[in-house]
Amino acid sequence: MSASTFDEVRSIASDILGLPVARLTADSSPETVESWDSVQHLNLVLALEEKFGLQLSPEEIEQMKTLGATATLIETKLQSTPR
Amino acid sequence: MAIVIQPYREEHETAVQDFNRRLQSSSGDPNLVFSQSAIPRWLPPASGNSVWNEFYVAVDASSAEKPRACGAYALKQEQIFVRGKGTQRIACYHHPVSEGVVDRSFASVGMLLARDALTRQPLLYALGMGGMDRPIAKMLKALGFSLTPIPFYFRVVNAAKFLREMQALRDKPWCATLMNIAAATGTGWLTIKSAQAIARLRSQSRNSASDFSVEKIVVEEIGEFSGWADELWNQAKDAVSFATARDANTLRLLYPPNFTSNIASTRRLRISRKSSAESSAKSSAIGWAVIGVRRKDPKFGAMRVGSIVDCWAMPENAALVVRAATEALEKDGVDLIVSNQSNHLWGSAMEKTGFLKGPSTFIFAASRKLTELLQPSENPPTFHITRADGDGLPVNF
Repeated sequence: MSASTFDEVRSIASDILGLPVARLTADSSPETVESWDSVQHLNLVLALEEKFGLQLSPEEIEQMKTLGATATLIETKLQSTPR
Repeated sequence: MAIVIQPYREEHETAVQDFNRRLQSSSGDPNLVFSQSAIPRWLPPASGNSVWNEFYVAVDASSAEKPRACGAYALKQEQIFVRGKGTQRIACYHHPVSEGVVDRSFASVGMLLARDALTRQPLLYALGMGGMDRPIAKMLKALGFSLTPIPFYFRVVNAAKFLREMQALRDKPWCATLMNIAAATGTGWLTIKSAQAIARLRSQSRNSASDFSVEKIVVEEIGEFSGWADELWNQAKDAVSFATARDANTLRLLYPPNFTSNIASTRRLRISRKSSAESSAKSSAIGWAVIGVRRKDPKFGAMRVGSIVDCWAMPENAALVVRAATEALEKDGVDLIVSNQSNHLWGSAMEKTGFLKGPSTFIFAASRKLTELLQPSENPPTFHITRADGDGLPVNF
């Protein structure tokens, strides 16, 4: 995962979860962040889809266990999607 | 984890029972469960039926031992009438339950369920949900659903009991004390009755006096709906911009004869004008109502709460139908009558009968595709949505 993709994902998550960027790490997950509930998970998916212009499948959404895993997923999707 | 959402089959029943146990033990909420049976008890699918329920279950297929259920939802498949666009098939998304409620590692399941439902039926709606601030309402809003509260109406029959029992109003000690005084002295009774009378007079002054003239009507309790209900459906559907089908065949499925439930007691009323020249059997129906007494609810204390669950008539006869339903419930000895009515003409009929409008947590959520279908000029006050729509009778009683 590149630092720039992770920074973008973290910035979006920071807005949605209402937390300072510095509080979020690659290991941050719904289990470690109080405000990361099912509604915010949906908002995060929708925001990422809009920001990166892609559509996440149910299988891909399941991979979003942590912010780091989410950034890796986005990067993989961006690389495999024709621009 | 590899979550697959599939039609709920008998082979999933054990996994759903385990899922229910986990939800209940973690949440302490006995109602946080999904159907243990793969076959819906209410509105099971059957050949030729116009309305039926389908269940879907989210299964974690990566589980090494046996499939693990981690979510489920129901779709009520039904027909709607949209003025100018005819009959369409849509679905109501109801009873979504996700393990994410008790285990954050399943946070994605709620949205997977909703997205799966949208994939199966883009013309989707949800109803109820307990308010705009509830997670399910927030989630549907994020998915592009438009949310509108369906107006709530209530009529206090027994004011003294209402004042004593309305636990929701008695949270603050000073409020409980005031209400006890009001109940004991009769000032509360006077206030409520005055408010209901004012609502009735204000409503009548906005409308022509003649359309609520006292006239003789015949109210019959019926076992099931028959051909006359088809006539009423066809006569009145163009007066609304959107309604789920209320033809006789559908009504027989929604309100079957001998429908017994441990949580519902309902009656079907056929309302017609009394004519000296005709027997009641020959008199033509002007409308119908489904009424019932709600199950006990802690927020209503010991009150018997009646509900005008559903109703249908030409707009000019709406007030007569509401009055007939109200009188039938009052004869049943209820202390309070409640109803939800989206249509402004039915709302006006409620006010003519002395109902007051209260804050509503009964939300209508329409998917983007359904909202587009109902556009451009139509809006909820011209829809016909009642408490019987959505997940309907079993839940709301």
